[in-house]
Amino acid sequence: MAVDYDPAIIGRVFETTDPLPVTPEMVKNFCSAIGESNPIHIDAEAAKKGPYGGITAPPSFAVTFRNGQHFFQHVPRYGKQGFDAGKDVEFVGPIRPGDAISLSSHVKEIYEKTGRTGSMVFVIVRSTLTNQKGEVVAHVDHRFMSRT
Amino acid sequence: MSTTLDLHSHSEASEDSRAPLEAYLNWLKLRSTERPVDGIVLTEHRQFNQDADYRALEDKFGILVLKASEVETDYGHVLVFGVTEEMTRRFDFANVHLPAQEVIDEIAHMGGVAIPCHPGRPNVGLCEHYGKKPPLENVIAVEVLNGGSRKGEDERSEALVQQYGYRAIGGSDSHLVSLIGLCATRFDAEIRTTDDLVRELRGGAYEPVDFRPRRKPVPQAIPVEVK
Repeated sequence: MAVDYDPAIIGRVFETTDPLPVTPEMVKNFCSAIGESNPIHIDAEAAKKGPYGGITAPPSFAVTFRNGQHFFQHVPRYGKQGFDAGKDVEFVGPIRPGDAISLSSHVKEIYEKTGRTGSMVFVIVRSTLTNQKGEVVAHVDHRFMSRT
Repeated sequence: MSTTLDLHSHSEASEDSRAPLEAYLNWLKLRSTERPVDGIVLTEHRQFNQDADYRALEDKFGILVLKASEVETDYGHVLVFGVTEEMTRRFDFANVHLPAQEVIDEIAHMGGVAIPCHPGRPNVGLCEHYGKKPPLENVIAVEVLNGGSRKGEDERSEALVQQYGYRAIGGSDSHLVSLIGLCATRFDAEIRTTDDLVRELRGGAYEPVDFRPRRKPVPQAIPVEVK
């Protein structure tokens, strides 16, 4: 094993958040913040003629949902410094105003690598977003990097 | 008949690459004039997928695809060509602290060849380690041209080759589609299989080739006397 951790931690779901209602204002504000101008996200009339028959949130809206506040107590930490090293998002279905999104997270992978600046450990946390119908709408892989 | 191969590339199977193999091959086909490579070697980080089969894509694009691995050692990163199940049983490819001398010697004994890559790169290249530890034995070649090198890194690699008499290879170290084939290795012989590649790396004739576009020199400002 390249880096020391309890293998049992991989895949274990620690916490599922309470459903968070998605309001029209949240979608509107998000579009405004990122400069989204596609009518299917901001114009109800235009969106009716679109592929989903109504307004949907932009795909990157999926990264706005947070893990539960106790989640990171269970995630192993390495070294003294760390930072968010990026996110990979797999879009599965649309998120619409009126949906209620729950987020369930687990540690997907832990690995070590070396680079120009030294050794690093990466902890990948996969969050699965589910709507009120139990449909998965997205998977978000959060990549956390620590210096060792 | 000669063969030109990009000996160092990463597809989306590596955790830090977002490049699908098909996109690599499509890019090379579209840019065959600027980057005339006959094939690429996928050297995924710290892993080897024995079962991966790329023949359908090879046939679709007419470009050779071979498999290898990039492992991490106490002397920096090393490309392993001719990977076998015996090698993956002997070494934990995910271990970033593999003993380089054992990797070089035992990979050779098991029928492959291990070549240190980007030796001029800080921390993960041979040059920095040679400043602190004895030089490795039985190194037959190092990667002198690396498409991901920063200023001065390839020059340090070249100096290492001159000092120790190593042979030289080139590879793009591509993690993005548009960077594939920027550096490569031209072999005198025809290469169709991994066995061919290992044989030629061990005893054939080859040289690194650089397809990186030359930057236009920045014009010098001409001072003008202001009255």
